[in-house]
Amino acid sequence: MSLFGALNISGSGIDAAQTWIDTTAGNIANANDVTTTSSDAYQEQTPVFVPAASLPDGTGAGVAVAGVQLGSVAGLVESDPQSVLADAQGLVRVPDVSISHELVNLVQAQNDYQANTAALERAKTAYQAALTLGS
Amino acid sequence: MDQILGVLQFAVDGLSQRQQVVADNLANTDTPGFTAQQVNFESSLQQALASPDGGQATVTVTASPDAPGSDGNNVDTGAQLIDAEQTTLQYQTMVEMLNAQYRLIQGAAGGSFQ
Repeated sequence: MSLFGALNISGSGIDAAQTWIDTTAGNIANANDVTTTSSDAYQEQTPVFVPAASLPDGTGAGVAVAGVQLGSVAGLVESDPQSVLADAQGLVRVPDVSISHELVNLVQAQNDYQANTAALERAKTAYQAALTLGS
Repeated sequence: MDQILGVLQFAVDGLSQRQQVVADNLANTDTPGFTAQQVNFESSLQQALASPDGGQATVTVTASPDAPGSDGNNVDTGAQLIDAEQTTLQYQTMVEMLNAQYRLIQGAAGGSFQ
C-alpha cells in the first residue's frame, strides 16, 4: 500500500470521469454534422472503463480507460434535398448520436466526478489527521 | 498501555485500507462487471481481544455480496460515500486517541501532561 494511496485511486476516477465528459461533449458538438452519403458519418465515442491493475496486496488501484469505442460509421441516411451535400436522390448522411442519451451520460459522468472528489476530500482529511500524530 | 497502542495502530491500519478500497469502489462506479470490495477488521479484532491467550487480528478484504445491476456492476455509490465519511471520522478519532496515549506516555516519562 503506497503512502496516501487513496488519493491516487480517487485521482484515476476523476480522470476517467473527465474523459467521459470530454467524449460526451464531442458527441454533442457533432450531433448535427452532415456529410455526403459517399463519406463516413461522425462516430459516437464511448470510453471503455476497466479496473486498473490491482496492487501487490490484492486491493484495487482505481480505474483506467482501456480505449474509446466508436459507434456506427454508417450513421443514418436522411432526406434533405436543400443541403449542398445532398446526393442525386436528395439524401445526406448524419451521425447516429442521440442527444438525450448523451445528456444522460453527461449527468452520470458528472456524478462520478463529484463522488470521486468527495472521496478524495475525505482521504485528505484522514491523512492530515495522521500528520498530527505525536505532535 | 502497550495493548492499547497496538489496538489503536491496528485500527488505523484497517481504516486506512478501508479508505483505499472505498476510493477504488467509487472510481469504478461505471466499470462494467466490477465487483465492489469491502474491508473488515472489527470482528477479527474483537475476537483477538476476547481470546484469553491473545489472538492475532487480521484485516480481510472480501467481495461485496450486493446484487449487480444490468451492467454487472454492484457498487452502491451512496453507501460508499457514507462509508468514506464514516471511515474518515473513525480515522480521526483513532489518531486523536493515539495522541492522547502518547501524551500520557510523555508525561509519565517526565514531560508535561498537556
